[in-house]
Amino acid sequence: MDKLTAELKVKIIDILNLQDLSPEDFDENARLVGGDLGIDSIDVLEMVVMVEKDYGVVINSQEIGEKVFSSLAALAGYIKENLPGSST
Amino acid sequence: MGNGVYIAGAGIVSPLGEGLAATVEALRANCSAIRPLELFPLLQGEPLPVGQVRGVDAHSFLPRTHCLARIAAMQAMAGCHEPPDAVILGTTTGGILTTEQLLRDNAENKELYRYHGLNSVAEYVAGEIGCRGPALAVSTACSSGAVAIAMALEMLRSGKAKRVLAGGVDSLCRLTYFGFHSLQLVDKKGCRPLDADRHGMAVAEGAAMLLLTTERPDSPLAALLGAGLSCDAYHPAAPHPEGRGALMAMRAALADAGLGPADIDYINLHGTGTPENDLAESKAIRTLFATPPSLSSIKGATGHSLAASGAIEAVVAAIAVSKNFLPANTGCQHPDPALGLAPLTQPVSQPVTAVLSNSFGFGGNNGCLVIGAPDRCPVSASAQVPAGLAVHGSSCLTGAGNSAATLSLLTQGVPVAGMANLDRISANLPPRLVRRLKRLPRMTLSLAIAAHDDSGLEVKPSAVFMGTGWGALSETYDFLTRLAESQEQFPSPTDFVGSVHNGPAGQAAIMFGATGANITTSGGDYSFEQALLAADLMMKEGDASCLVLGVDEGHQALSSLLDPSIAPGTLLADGGGALCLSRTSKGAQCLVRVPFYQSSAPEGTMDLLIEALGGSQVLKSKYALVLAGIPAAVREEGEAQLARFREQTGCQAPVIRYRELTGEFASASAVAAVMAVSLLAERQPPAGGEDGKKAILVLGLGPYLSAIEFSRP
Repeated sequence: MDKLTAELKVKIIDILNLQDLSPEDFDENARLVGGDLGIDSIDVLEMVVMVEKDYGVVINSQEIGEKVFSSLAALAGYIKENLPGSST
Repeated sequence: MGNGVYIAGAGIVSPLGEGLAATVEALRANCSAIRPLELFPLLQGEPLPVGQVRGVDAHSFLPRTHCLARIAAMQAMAGCHEPPDAVILGTTTGGILTTEQLLRDNAENKELYRYHGLNSVAEYVAGEIGCRGPALAVSTACSSGAVAIAMALEMLRSGKAKRVLAGGVDSLCRLTYFGFHSLQLVDKKGCRPLDADRHGMAVAEGAAMLLLTTERPDSPLAALLGAGLSCDAYHPAAPHPEGRGALMAMRAALADAGLGPADIDYINLHGTGTPENDLAESKAIRTLFATPPSLSSIKGATGHSLAASGAIEAVVAAIAVSKNFLPANTGCQHPDPALGLAPLTQPVSQPVTAVLSNSFGFGGNNGCLVIGAPDRCPVSASAQVPAGLAVHGSSCLTGAGNSAATLSLLTQGVPVAGMANLDRISANLPPRLVRRLKRLPRMTLSLAIAAHDDSGLEVKPSAVFMGTGWGALSETYDFLTRLAESQEQFPSPTDFVGSVHNGPAGQAAIMFGATGANITTSGGDYSFEQALLAADLMMKEGDASCLVLGVDEGHQALSSLLDPSIAPGTLLADGGGALCLSRTSKGAQCLVRVPFYQSSAPEGTMDLLIEALGGSQVLKSKYALVLAGIPAAVREEGEAQLARFREQTGCQAPVIRYRELTGEFASASAVAAVMAVSLLAERQPPAGGEDGKKAILVLGLGPYLSAIEFSRP
């Protein structure tokens, strides 16, 4: 697991107040939105703000959000691809 | 069905203009009034399109919401020389636009914040037009205006009033401008309801009011034929995807009006332009109407003026009926085939006898109105008086803890003032359910569960009525703080959704699956009283039970600025109370009613109060105890009123000034109410009280005189 994925786990648990979940138990490949964690559209928007604030990556949740937030691994992948200054 | 209710006057101010004539002209022109924001400067970025009202004079201290409300109220009252018996206004913003600037300037003079509260809008309007009766502030997000009119309808039908001024008002402010943007619900190209390429709403402002009366005026504009309320009980911000609550509210409104779907000539849609709202609303309409009538949303022209929109669209419905004119669905070029609706692309002139007007809001709060030609009004004038309200369960929360801890101290006269412990409050709440909830919604859910448990009723409450003086202060403060600290870049969508006054009642509805009426009132120190009044008006015979709550949170930064009774350095106190009510006295702990609620300013209000309670003779023998609510800010006035009450009635019952025990917070009377219930249920006369007397009076003193009576069945 890379550094970004580990970092995102901690941040998401914090901003969404997922008190009963530890970073170790957070499966980056599990369904993120609408899955067992009870994450919904408002949480997605809160994560959109966090990603823009902390990584400078803008996500329009209406158009591409569903794919980007399908799992934590997908989110990490999207951030890496779109980091400002990234060559890809 | 009760009395016919007529629209004797109407007032409107919106981005389309001021007054009925200007509004009709603008709607005939079918042009959008949505333009980039100019009202306040932005720290960055291009201004988003909004519906801003032009030409409102800035006032030195009065917030913009109050100014808008005054304009609409004066128009509505223009043809009437007598003040109404009550004012009922829907609003979500109150004085927040002014407060936002004061907080940024670190203003500490609390006098400047005195028009912050939602109640201040209704009370200001009442004062301007000389109304001495109740001034109720309803806050059910974007359905507020419609819900206020629905309450006025019931108040008139019940015979409790002959004339009511009702409507809605909101001003643009940073909270709603950035809040809806943070939810990605704003269309950067303006608002295009029902269009295949729609991308959201345009936040707007405005005010509209109806002067409603049961006495048929010479030339009524139209008649208010019916209203229907419901709650999705599904999600704090998103509509139910199948439009379940919307369908329930439309059905209820038609049934209330005694009409069938085929009787409706035109539907004024909620039609915000967000993909989800328009889809859910279309599904509900296609379920109810085999062949939908002409329909349109005017929000592509006006934008979405939130609490005002339901009232603005009620005025447009009245225009449709009186002028036989249907406005177009401005902004929609290519109707979305997924909706299966054909909105009016051009304004149309055709005969109109009945209109359905839809309003839906956050918290799944839905309100639908049916407005029709005056001759459609029922002639029969026999109002059905529903049974009174019976208390089956109660709960309270204070600095001392839950009901048991609080009541054991209160009944001994020991203070319980302080901040309720949040961890202990949350102990009976499922962690996943409350992870996003801060102080006010957690206290609300904790009280709701405890009151229902105490009732022993298996059936869950189907309606929720909540009073809160100041709403969700933590969420509001956190939203504005993060907005300012991030230079307006990163407002929190979670805090915005949580900041609405009706958020906690919406959460209670989700928890209980309560799909009936869901009304939040904000009446300052009389918020709980207003919630009880709302319950008495709106609880249907079919509702198995309902919850009535009064809850407020203490907030380190805001309470001492906003609440006149809390000085800097005052011990912060908060909490509240909840009653589980039904209309069946069988098995009830006690009965409750609100016989009086009027402004104390005019001469003779005390006499009216005493008369409403049955006169001095009855009073002397009836009450075992008086729980007197005297907020610190009005101590002298309240003490003088109390002395006069005792002198005039000769009532010797012991008096407990309950705020000395509960501490100062707006809904402290809800704790007093639960104390009264507990004393009556235990059949223990309070210290110094006399047994044999059957009732306890909770008296509200200060700028309004209010009475809640609890009695043994």
